[in-house]
Amino acid sequence: MSREKRRVIFGPIMSVVVLFVVWHLIVVLGNVAPYIAPRPLDALASIRDNWHHLWPLLLATFRETLFGFLAGATLGIALGVWLAKAAFTRRVIYPLLVVSQAIPVIALAPPLVLLLGFNLAPKIVVVAWVVFFPVTVNVLDGLAGVDGDYLTLARSYGASNWRTFWVIEAPASLSNLFTGLKIGATYAVTGAIIGELAASSGTSLAMFQHAQSAQLDAAGVYGTTLVMTALGIAWFAAVVLVEFFTMPWKRRATARRKRTRP
Amino acid sequence: MQLRGVSKNFGETDALVTTDLSIEAGSFVSIVGPSGCGKSTLFNIVSGLLAPSTGSVVLGGVDVTGSARHVGYMLQKDLLVPWRTVVGNITLGANLRGGATPSDRHDAVAMATKYGLGEFLDHYPAALSGGMRQRVAFMRTLASRHDVLLLDEPFGALDAQTRFAMQEWLLEVWHDTGRTVLFITHDVDEALFLSDRVLVMSPRPGRVVDDITVALGRPRSLDTLTQPHFMELKQQVLRHLHHGGEVR
Repeated sequence: MSREKRRVIFGPIMSVVVLFVVWHLIVVLGNVAPYIAPRPLDALASIRDNWHHLWPLLLATFRETLFGFLAGATLGIALGVWLAKAAFTRRVIYPLLVVSQAIPVIALAPPLVLLLGFNLAPKIVVVAWVVFFPVTVNVLDGLAGVDGDYLTLARSYGASNWRTFWVIEAPASLSNLFTGLKIGATYAVTGAIIGELAASSGTSLAMFQHAQSAQLDAAGVYGTTLVMTALGIAWFAAVVLVEFFTMPWKRRATARRKRTRP
Repeated sequence: MQLRGVSKNFGETDALVTTDLSIEAGSFVSIVGPSGCGKSTLFNIVSGLLAPSTGSVVLGGVDVTGSARHVGYMLQKDLLVPWRTVVGNITLGANLRGGATPSDRHDAVAMATKYGLGEFLDHYPAALSGGMRQRVAFMRTLASRHDVLLLDEPFGALDAQTRFAMQEWLLEVWHDTGRTVLFITHDVDEALFLSDRVLVMSPRPGRVVDDITVALGRPRSLDTLTQPHFMELKQQVLRHLHHGGEVR
């Protein structure tokens, strides 16, 4: 394993270890009561003990974030491209997008539940709601930031707008797209949990934690928070991984396979 | 290639006064002149990116005024796309026109290999030096298969040594391919070293003030730069550029 690879893998592991050590020291040295804040190892143990409850709930939350993220990302990209190409529409629609994000998400969920019921739908909508915005804004910025000289070059080749978009503008905006997707991925779990709280249907991570809190099970509450956090990190990591394989030119000197031979 | 009574004005400003110009097929013609002398306006008109206020551009007997994709165009900025390899960048024009065919790719590989890029076919531009990147950009311009190539200060950003190597390389490729080249530069040595003909332009209003035939043999080498005739021509051009053509 190369020095670079080791750094990529061990860096994040180190940061988690440091976080847990600091947490542990604060609880122990500060004499914090266990019903206020558990030690990290106790929180981890509670995850292990509650795993048979947590696992199906985690899967449900995963499903909500998956569908919500895909819907939000698709909507975000479509809106970003559309608004980048239609200047007047952008002036009309953009303020509405800002308004959509000014609504506190936690106040958005209850009306959605009234509209859509207690099933999966309101949760997906809340997740998509928080995911699409950073994607749209970043795609818009990416497309607006394409160097005009490249567009002139495309024009000098007689390229259609459609070809210019696919060959020049879309790949040039990939970095921005992934920035938006990474922000969206970290928001997705927050959206899902808020949706679960509002729908309060009993079988969800949010309501499970609510019950643990009512029972003063501090280790359990912290453990469930850790599980939710881990899901958010997994989403972020998944996007980073896709980005890594989508843009090999960011990290390699040559294309992977020797496709072309003299 | 011919310009017939071409002029361009932006509002009150004459960017280019009425100009007639005839350029022989297969020749190498440079344009020198200070900023604002209308060089780039002239190029944009020839390439069809800009419509002239009057006059017409004729290529091989066909009027192509104001329509793009009849000439190859290359700028000082190499404009290579970072997400495509060297071969991918050379075939970019074909991709922009609808898609590169296997034969486009085959030609790109053959050309790149012939002119010293064989080691770098699968490299991304970020891994190449400035000179190499300009070679790729020129290959891309050649791959468009246009008979007329417009090169707008292509070597302006390179250091002196790389620049001279690139000039020799360009002459070699030009000699092999027989294209007509119109070349903008600020560098009088570069213009004289490369060209059959040097057009000197002057600003306010933009116009051609001298048309110099460079009667130096080919192939040219480092020695060309110190020949007496080269020096005479250089003096003639420099007078135009610095003293408006008056002999002191």
